[in-house]
Amino acid sequence: MSEGGVQYSKIAEIKGPLVVVDDVSNAAFDELVEIETNEGERRLGKVLEVGNGKAIVQVFEGTTGLSISGTNAKFVGKMMEMPVSKELLGRVFDGLGRPKDGLPDPIADKFVDINGEPMNPEQREYPKDFIQTGVSVIDGTMTLIRGQKLPIFSGSGMSHNLLAAQIARQASVVGTQDDFAVVFAAIGVQYSEAEYFRRSLEESGALKRSVLFLNTADDPAIERIITPRVALTVAEYLAFELGMHVLVILTDMTNYAEALREISAAREEVPGRKGYPGYLYTDLSTIYERAGKLNGRKGSVTQVPILSMPSDDITHPIPDLTGYITEGQIVLGRDLFRQGVYPPVNILMSLSRLMKDGIGEGSTRADHGEVSNQIYDAYSRAQEVRALAGIVGKAGLTEIDLKYMDVGDAFENEFLTQATDENRTIEETLGIMWKIVSKLPKNEITKIKDKYVDQYYKEK
Amino acid sequence: MAAKGRIVWVSGPAVRADGMSDAKMYETVTVGNSKLVGEVIRLTGDVAFIQVYESTSGLKPGEPVVGTGNPLSVLLGPGIIGQIYDGIQRPLKELSKASGSFIGRGITTTPVDMTKQYHFVPTVSVGDEVTPGSVIGTVQESSLIENSIMVPPDHKGGKITNIVSEGDYDLETEMATTEKDGQTFPLKMYHKWPVRKPRPFLKRHDPTVPLITGQRVIDTFFPIAKGGTGSIPGAFGTGKTVTLHQIAKWADSQVVVYIGCGERGNEMTEVLVEFPELKDPRTGKPLMDRTVLVANTSNMPVAAREASIYTGVTIAEYYRDMGKDVVLVADSTSRWAESLREMSGRLEEMPAEEGYPSYLASRLAEFYERAGRVRASGSPDRDGSVTLIGAVSPSGGDFTEPVTTHTMRFIKTFWALDAKLAYSRHYPSINWMNSYSGYLADIAKWWGENISEDWLKLRGESYGVLQREDTLKEIVRLLGPEALPDEEKLILEVARMIKIGLLQQNSFDEVDTYCSPEKQYKLLKLLVDFYNRGQQALKEGAALADIRAMSVVSSMLKARMDIKDDEMSKLDQLDVDMQEQFKSITGVKVQN
Amino acid sequence: MASNSSLENTIDKILNHTESNILSSLDSALSESRQKLDDSVSTLEQEYDQIISNGRKEADKIEKQIIGSSDLKARNKQLTTVEESIDKVFAKALDEIANADRSGDYSNLIKSLLDESTKNLGTNEVIVFTNSKDKDIVQSNLSQYPGAEFSSETIDCLGGVKVKSKDGAMTFDNTLDAKIQRLKPLIRKDITTQFGVGN
Repeated sequence: MSEGGVQYSKIAEIKGPLVVVDDVSNAAFDELVEIETNEGERRLGKVLEVGNGKAIVQVFEGTTGLSISGTNAKFVGKMMEMPVSKELLGRVFDGLGRPKDGLPDPIADKFVDINGEPMNPEQREYPKDFIQTGVSVIDGTMTLIRGQKLPIFSGSGMSHNLLAAQIARQASVVGTQDDFAVVFAAIGVQYSEAEYFRRSLEESGALKRSVLFLNTADDPAIERIITPRVALTVAEYLAFELGMHVLVILTDMTNYAEALREISAAREEVPGRKGYPGYLYTDLSTIYERAGKLNGRKGSVTQVPILSMPSDDITHPIPDLTGYITEGQIVLGRDLFRQGVYPPVNILMSLSRLMKDGIGEGSTRADHGEVSNQIYDAYSRAQEVRALAGIVGKAGLTEIDLKYMDVGDAFENEFLTQATDENRTIEETLGIMWKIVSKLPKNEITKIKDKYVDQYYKEK
Repeated sequence: MAAKGRIVWVSGPAVRADGMSDAKMYETVTVGNSKLVGEVIRLTGDVAFIQVYESTSGLKPGEPVVGTGNPLSVLLGPGIIGQIYDGIQRPLKELSKASGSFIGRGITTTPVDMTKQYHFVPTVSVGDEVTPGSVIGTVQESSLIENSIMVPPDHKGGKITNIVSEGDYDLETEMATTEKDGQTFPLKMYHKWPVRKPRPFLKRHDPTVPLITGQRVIDTFFPIAKGGTGSIPGAFGTGKTVTLHQIAKWADSQVVVYIGCGERGNEMTEVLVEFPELKDPRTGKPLMDRTVLVANTSNMPVAAREASIYTGVTIAEYYRDMGKDVVLVADSTSRWAESLREMSGRLEEMPAEEGYPSYLASRLAEFYERAGRVRASGSPDRDGSVTLIGAVSPSGGDFTEPVTTHTMRFIKTFWALDAKLAYSRHYPSINWMNSYSGYLADIAKWWGENISEDWLKLRGESYGVLQREDTLKEIVRLLGPEALPDEEKLILEVARMIKIGLLQQNSFDEVDTYCSPEKQYKLLKLLVDFYNRGQQALKEGAALADIRAMSVVSSMLKARMDIKDDEMSKLDQLDVDMQEQFKSITGVKVQN
Repeated sequence: MASNSSLENTIDKILNHTESNILSSLDSALSESRQKLDDSVSTLEQEYDQIISNGRKEADKIEKQIIGSSDLKARNKQLTTVEESIDKVFAKALDEIANADRSGDYSNLIKSLLDESTKNLGTNEVIVFTNSKDKDIVQSNLSQYPGAEFSSETIDCLGGVKVKSKDGAMTFDNTLDAKIQRLKPLIRKDITTQFGVGN
């Protein structure tokens, strides 16, 4: 790509977040654009479509206040880039990657295209290192693995931020401390939520190993298209160039998807489901697939994206398409949340796809997988029995049904429930699991091999 | 003459170029200064509409577009087995040599190593007459695959005038020449074939042989035939990928083509790590030695996703033509349909349902039509098959969306994955009430001849129990289980046993992951016998609680994990134990 | 006396009984209170442990926080100091450029800036702007660009040119200020490496 830098001042149209520039002879697809007003105000944008003398530019900071006659567009001659270096740790940036902490621009080791490139599947290393989060329900039944992408599906007002912050704090304690880093991207969330996260990192002493990107609710909406990408660009650099294990938290991806819908609507594209563009899946994948490990490189990128399901509906396009890309999901349940359970994880709808390879002998314990299956099975039965009890009453239940109800209660009160600063070891977690499973008579234990039952089953 | 034009417009994977009046439809072109690979998908005047198989970031109007004169083709020859390709048959290993851990652009490679030598054994001699499709010799491609070197389908054939003797040769060596109508034609170990054109064959056979997958709910309840078509739709988290991996691992075919079409990168890596370690249950050789992967993950360019399906099926047909049974697994056809939708949107075509183009149904039909058990062209006589299994990822798990509904019109086996079953950890979460197989009648004969005469009858009886349970569940939901008489309670009990002991299968358990047809049959028979014997016992006055408390129940439920394929006598012993225990509970009752 | 003795006996019995009652109740009270004491000791111990461990946790937290934030503060101080030095170097460099000798090589520089500008705009039909210092050099160079016009309006810059197409649709800013701005990230890295800080 040539140097670029020509400024064009013939603006044909401004609509929504888009500026259409006329008589453009030298612009490339995806190129970075600097929009300048006559008053000298500068905004950033990128080329969405170019040809036949026209360029359609998406303006990240929005088009409010731009005019046809008083606007210039400079095509910069490169893609949008993020300066990266080790000194990014401990810094706070805005949603476009510009300093927000009053400190100077970072001195770049290099400049990296924020769109990244797809990892070659042949060069990926299959993730199988167990991350102990200290949260029983995650470690025990939906284990997080280094290099995994495991989102939290939540709803408005639920405790997803508490949980994500707890994971970020506690996961850092395990293994090689120095190599650990947190990249946090706030995407259109309230200032108080972002601040909670920052404080939580500060209190655990992890702030100096963190990089924060903040696009809060009052920041420009279209900027949200960029925020996860600059965050992941930094994460990839820390992981694959500096060898760190990076945990990336993106909250809230629903706001991201809404920004994408806004652009699509302005371009008058044929919409897919619920007005979201047909390429939402592909677009989301260019974010989520930037998690993983690579052959011959030390670091890893683990993603915990958070998204709030509109009306708690898991079939809504955003959680739906996310679930098809991510390697499982942690689903928070409204009922549990209302009961005051923390973390309110609905295990039956939750899943970690990579768990099977990260647990067992040599990493957690040989019986882990089977006792976890039995817990799932028992809790699922408990839910059925509870539903039945709601109709026929407790009197209509059999002896064994009542035992399952006990198991359900114990599961929620002893296993699921945990304080936000309670950090349980995997042994403690497995101990509680066996305690719960042991409330069932032995012949109900169909998912665990006899040798483990003999070893761990707690006779009354 | 190759077309030479200039880019006039770029938007994502879509590019328009003018000066392209010499271009042909579906011709491949190189786009821009960085020579990206693209394909012409519409011509208007001298403007060509091109879908580009690589990222178009930085592409500018004014840059050149050059035609290659050829349609999008794959190279077919020894060396394909064990490879992992992108959507347009570029080996990902070679790409990483050029661009490292991330996928670069504008890289050209050959699909197979052209310099590798294979030991060729001729099967025809000078003077023999060959026709398109005829085999002229064989080479050992991998420990499991003997590759037949064939006269390409678009070759003239004729009389062999020259053929090399047995020995080691590389792919560029001229192996033989034929003469026809005074002209000579060379033959090499490889040839090229356009991906969008089905390879010809002599005639179709009826699909009468089941594809044994070792998965009980598939083989016993909803079987697929070799050369058949199947679809596996399911919301996320229902275990679609695990089920497809299971089929790719254990199906009794000679070749497996696995297409990761717009899916997760780590899933392809998992196959790459796992398959070389796993042994084929029939030959003991590494599974990778019969597998070809085509990987176009979700974050790779969307246009190549569209091509990946055709690349895969053409490779499958190539091995079919050698007389092999090939299974092709496409995960997921929904992502392929979405790439059609995206290109259609950029072409500004009139959309049909949910923005999909109106030709979605015909494209799906064309794809599934490439399945079949066939007699290959040329000599000697060879029968091969391509079984097509496509995953569908319906948005929101809704089976009424266009890709699922259209697919159902063109496939004969339907494995409906059920989120509710998955939530209760019933895996594989194939719903037995919504799934179906159109091959049951065709393949019953095979089971009768190879396993047991009463297979179809037993299958019917056990399925009957599941159907009865489905209706009874409604009553239980309203009135509680105590409202039912004992015979019906037994139905619920046996249905539970069928679910846990037969339908559920733990793919991560060493023993349970694959279940031989014999073991499937014996487990089925055990459960049906238990049911019949139980009903009889109730009539003889036995208490339901006693039946439930029989120690054999728990053993039957764990038999799928505890009893290995080579320990069938243990299953027979279970049968004996069961009869004994029934005798003792009815016996006690009589004494009272 | 018999009656007396029987009375005594009775009284004795009653006394005995009461005594044993009292004693046993004393006993049980004692053991109860012992038990209570024991219990409370262990509870106290537990509470004590709790307080200690909470205190420790809190102390840990504060320690981590202090170490973390003081590390960070020190680092940030360094960043600011480096930036101040960079600014000084820049100011000096800009000063030198502004006051540079306008003869010899400088004319070549202006020519290359004009070349670049017209090439980027794709036309010679342009209006060229510069500052008062460079006015003469630019004007003398312009003769080589037929169609290019010189604007009498001067702009505020260190040097170099700003070129605008005659229809006003395109502008190319090729002043030295703009050039330096474009190169600034690289120059900053250069300076810090020379300081031996940063990466």
